[in-house]
Amino acid sequence: MLVAKRIPALIRSFCYQSFFLFLATLLLAAQERQLDLYIIAGLVFMLKVCAIPYFLRRLIRKIKVKDDLGLFINPQLSLLAALGFTYLSWVFVQYLIGPSDQALGAILAAAFFVVLAGMFLMIFRITALAQIIGLLVMENGLFLLASSVSGGMPFFVEIAIFFDAFVSVVIMGFFIHRINKFFTHIDVNKLSRLKG
Amino acid sequence: MLIFFILGIPALLVLAALIFGAKKKFALVNTCGYLVVLLSAALLCKDVIFSRQPAFQCGFIYLDILSAFFILVISIVAFATALYSVGYLGKEIEEGALSEKKSRVYYLLFNLFCLSMFFVPAVNNLGMLWAAIEMTTLISAVSVGFYKTKESVEASWKYIIICSVGIIFALLGTILFYYAFSYSGITKSLNWSDIIAVSHILDKNMLKIAFIFILVGYGTKAGLAPMHTWLPDAHSQAPSPISALLSGVLLKTAVYAILRFGMIVIKGAGFAYFGNLLLLFGLVSLAVSCGFVLVQKDLKRLLAYSSIEHIGIISIGFGLGAPLAAAGALLHILNHAIIKSLMFFGAGNIVSAYKKHNMNAIRGVIKAIPFTGIMVLLGIFALTGFPPFCLFFSEIMILISAFTGSSYFVAACLLFGLAVIFAAFIYHFGKMLFGNLPKGMAVRSEPLSIKLAMIFLTLLSGAIVAALPLIKKDLIWMAQKLF
Repeated sequence: MLVAKRIPALIRSFCYQSFFLFLATLLLAAQERQLDLYIIAGLVFMLKVCAIPYFLRRLIRKIKVKDDLGLFINPQLSLLAALGFTYLSWVFVQYLIGPSDQALGAILAAAFFVVLAGMFLMIFRITALAQIIGLLVMENGLFLLASSVSGGMPFFVEIAIFFDAFVSVVIMGFFIHRINKFFTHIDVNKLSRLKG
Repeated sequence: MLIFFILGIPALLVLAALIFGAKKKFALVNTCGYLVVLLSAALLCKDVIFSRQPAFQCGFIYLDILSAFFILVISIVAFATALYSVGYLGKEIEEGALSEKKSRVYYLLFNLFCLSMFFVPAVNNLGMLWAAIEMTTLISAVSVGFYKTKESVEASWKYIIICSVGIIFALLGTILFYYAFSYSGITKSLNWSDIIAVSHILDKNMLKIAFIFILVGYGTKAGLAPMHTWLPDAHSQAPSPISALLSGVLLKTAVYAILRFGMIVIKGAGFAYFGNLLLLFGLVSLAVSCGFVLVQKDLKRLLAYSSIEHIGIISIGFGLGAPLAAAGALLHILNHAIIKSLMFFGAGNIVSAYKKHNMNAIRGVIKAIPFTGIMVLLGIFALTGFPPFCLFFSEIMILISAFTGSSYFVAACLLFGLAVIFAAFIYHFGKMLFGNLPKGMAVRSEPLSIKLAMIFLTLLSGAIVAALPLIKKDLIWMAQKLF
């Protein structure tokens, strides 16, 4: 995902990531035998694997921009940064829970890594679309974190978070539309009218 | 039961705005609705304080003195803004800046925004609290982009992105709190009332790390420096009534969330940790806002930076830890909400009369729009903490307890910052209010509802000063409940 150079590739890799999240939740659901978790896994599939990528693809078709992401940092360096993040999140998790539980530690480290990777995407990619995807990736990481540390948040909270995520994508899509209309590009690096 | 009025009326008004929003009469109905909300909030607050009963719990909803207080603050500003909007929108439509259809969108957003803010202090579940705060971000981002200009689109994009990232960190913090709680092996719950009951046995390190994420996350929303960068853009580009809501209460709802988590951390990991973090962020915010207020050219951005300053003062007040300081900070939240709304209303009138934001181009406000001029003059003295006004009392409460608690450095920084900001405000507004009228500018007066809204806020702030000896004991009691 971090080496993706074009918008469709980024959306596709987000799609794959969400699919793995769906599998992980399904596994957890089968383990704990709870109906709530099955419903949540279904929601992950519907929203994150199907609806949101579909919405984003339609958006880029509609606004007809170049599908270049605009990298501040080239793919090779991004990959190196990702390696660094993996190490960092591992160290952080060790500090957090101690070396007692290695399996949990690995999942936690993966979750923190996903959060960091999302942040990296938001900062080092120029287009507004990459920022949305970065945000969604961070959210995926948090979702994994929540389900791995405590078998998922309370049911209604999960639903509310899903709802918020979906609404935020719709609203941001609306704003991208507007940015494109007013500025004829979606390059957030050039949004610098307001200062001081 | 009053809480159902408070949550129900904005919900009904959302539906009503969807159907009748374009009608002229709707503005009045809207105002009446918020008047009822304000009265119920006042009754609710009175109930909680007089019965000294800590909590009311019913399903998702949990009310104690802190939430009742915040609901009161929100309802005051919401009512004043609804009243102001009547005249503001009327004038915009008259001048052709807005179509009548847009007023429906405006009222829809306004009511949704208020509804989501009322939810924040009313819910018990910390996850729902997060969802409600994220909802306020999303809705207010759309209202910031209400005027379709390049600047407002840019401002709302920055706002939604920065605050969404911030709030993701807050969610991370919430998950860590949840982990600390479920790790202790009692039950699985994210209810604040359950967590606070066992907070003393939770893992200290986990609480500390989690609270950092919470403070960074909700601090972004509250406008604490250095995460404040979205705030001046959003406040300056939003329509003035929305700016008043943003600055007056939206920032306070984030402060509320920080306080809720803070109470758990204080019980679990001691006061020093919480206090030092809040003091640090408070002082940084004060310093940053001082610099920007001095060199500011844009009227509404000036007020936005002043909001950062006041949020800094509030967090210093909570960080000091003495009951008197916390009481001062609570009072400051109320006073700042009232006075800052008044100032944004005034700024809205000035901008709509002069059609520009640049302070160097605005002269002779007192001659051009006399009523607004006088109100803004009073407002500046109140906002900068001049003695007979209400903000002076809350600031002096914080200062006294800083000195008696022998945190001289904090007190000195606070005094210095206040002095700089006072000077800067007098300089900027002195030039704007007095001075000669620009050529070709006619003297004009404001619509009745705008006048009423401003008079309401001024009288209310006066009433607070008058009632201060009476409510001081209750405030201190509230503050003791906090820590």
